[in-house]
Amino acid sequence: MSFTGAVKTFGAVRAVDGVDLELAAGETVALLGRNGAGKSTAISLLLGLHEPDEGVVRLFGGTPEESVRAGRVGAMLQDGRPVPRVTVGELVGFVARTYPRPIPVAEALELAGVAELADRRVDRLSGGQQQRVRFAVALIGNPALIVLDEPTAALDVEARHAFWVSMRAYARRGHTVLFSTHYLEEADANADRIVVIDRGRIVADGSGEQLRRAAGGNLVSFDLAGAGTEGLTLLPGVVSVEVRGDRARLRTEDSDATVIALAERGAIRGLEVVAASLDDAFLALTSPSDAASAPSSPPSPPPSSSANLEAV
Amino acid sequence: MLGYLRLEVRRTLRDTGFVIGGVVMPVAMYLLFTNLGGGDDDSWKTASMVGMAAYGAMGSALNTGGGVAEDKANGWLRQLRVTPMTPRQVVTGRALTGAVTVLPAILAVLAAGGVVNGVRLDAWKWAAIALLLWLGSIPFTLLGLGNGYRLTAQTTGVANLGCNLVMAVVGGLWFPLSLFPEWLRSVSPYMPTNRFAQLGTAVADGHAPTLGALLVLTFWLLAFGSYAVTSYRMTARTV
Repeated sequence: MSFTGAVKTFGAVRAVDGVDLELAAGETVALLGRNGAGKSTAISLLLGLHEPDEGVVRLFGGTPEESVRAGRVGAMLQDGRPVPRVTVGELVGFVARTYPRPIPVAEALELAGVAELADRRVDRLSGGQQQRVRFAVALIGNPALIVLDEPTAALDVEARHAFWVSMRAYARRGHTVLFSTHYLEEADANADRIVVIDRGRIVADGSGEQLRRAAGGNLVSFDLAGAGTEGLTLLPGVVSVEVRGDRARLRTEDSDATVIALAERGAIRGLEVVAASLDDAFLALTSPSDAASAPSSPPSPPPSSSANLEAV
Repeated sequence: MLGYLRLEVRRTLRDTGFVIGGVVMPVAMYLLFTNLGGGDDDSWKTASMVGMAAYGAMGSALNTGGGVAEDKANGWLRQLRVTPMTPRQVVTGRALTGAVTVLPAILAVLAAGGVVNGVRLDAWKWAAIALLLWLGSIPFTLLGLGNGYRLTAQTTGVANLGCNLVMAVVGGLWFPLSLFPEWLRSVSPYMPTNRFAQLGTAVADGHAPTLGALLVLTFWLLAFGSYAVTSYRMTARTV
């Protein structure tokens, strides 16, 4: 599938503002962005629910509508409420018959983790169960591409975990999966590739590791021990400085040079160098204009502290 | 599309509101209106049977639109747009659902007439009345679909109820026209409900529906049909 210069405006809001994106078969891709970043609009364009005002959206070499009609796409849309007065089995069975090559209903329910709910009415299930039923509806047609718009919004931790187990099992069968989320950890843990969207534009595209690096490499922190912070922003490599209590946290593009400069100032006390967390990366990427003052959240345990910079 | 029809008919029949409003109410009102006051008027029992069957059919037909509005609100119509079903199949399936779900009301009231009130007609008349009431309900299904596609779930409920009551009373489905003041009696023949019931009463009296009835019903069929089409075009691509 591909987006080429896609633009969609609602009134004065450019919800999707010149997006270029291609997905390869078999990939699991996360569309990551804040609320209102344009994720759902991008997905509506992809599914043919909206027409782009400018640019072209192609799916499997045709228009989105052609691909949907041909049964190549399955989708779980955002804020769908349960369909009243049907059982899980009836609902999934009905959707199966609209597709040319569905998988057996029992298998879809099993994959989505709702096999034991087949005879229950959809509108009497818990939120997590309903969400997994909607996942079964998305995958029953055995579509080559499955699109999940914020699949875990409003789920509790346990339900969210169960959902991702199902999703990864489905992706392993070789299907292309595109999901949107505003949870960084979800994108990092479940996708091969993360596409960050902000104000209708793609601001980064790569693996979680690449995003971390692209966002300004490492975080160097040390105790100030009463020393001032003047001049820290001028040290080599430093992009931003933040002081928490008596500790300075420098985001740097070249941690080696920064650390050497700190040593020359005799400022090394309780020095720590870690890779910027994905949270830091996300904040840096989605608010470029005020990155220097952006409050960074506490770094989560980084998988590696490699300092290779790589253009994404 | 047959699968869609089956699913929607099932969903409608499981709707308690539909069963009470569309089947139980017309039957209860029929039995009430024909047995209160010790009236033992056979022609009124037959005429009211047709009127109440028509009233029940209209309520069920309008209810189809309520279902559309509900499904627009809960996202089911949108979900259908990302299945291989075409929009045309969806709207046709809905209209057919309406055609099927008017049957319980018609059959229940006719059964109450025959079994409880002892209305006696030739077999072909029963069949013809049922068939004509069934076909005559199509304009009301279109009106319901028009409301359902155009309005929100809440306003569709209010609009359907309003259409239902006004057309039922003014069309003479509840009370005979002879009880109406002169000016109202002159309006009634232009109501689709009045002519709708006339399809059945004409057969019960042993003659074919009048040309006037067919003309008035055709007019409303076209009017409600265009209303449904424009409503559908307005919203079908934005649900």
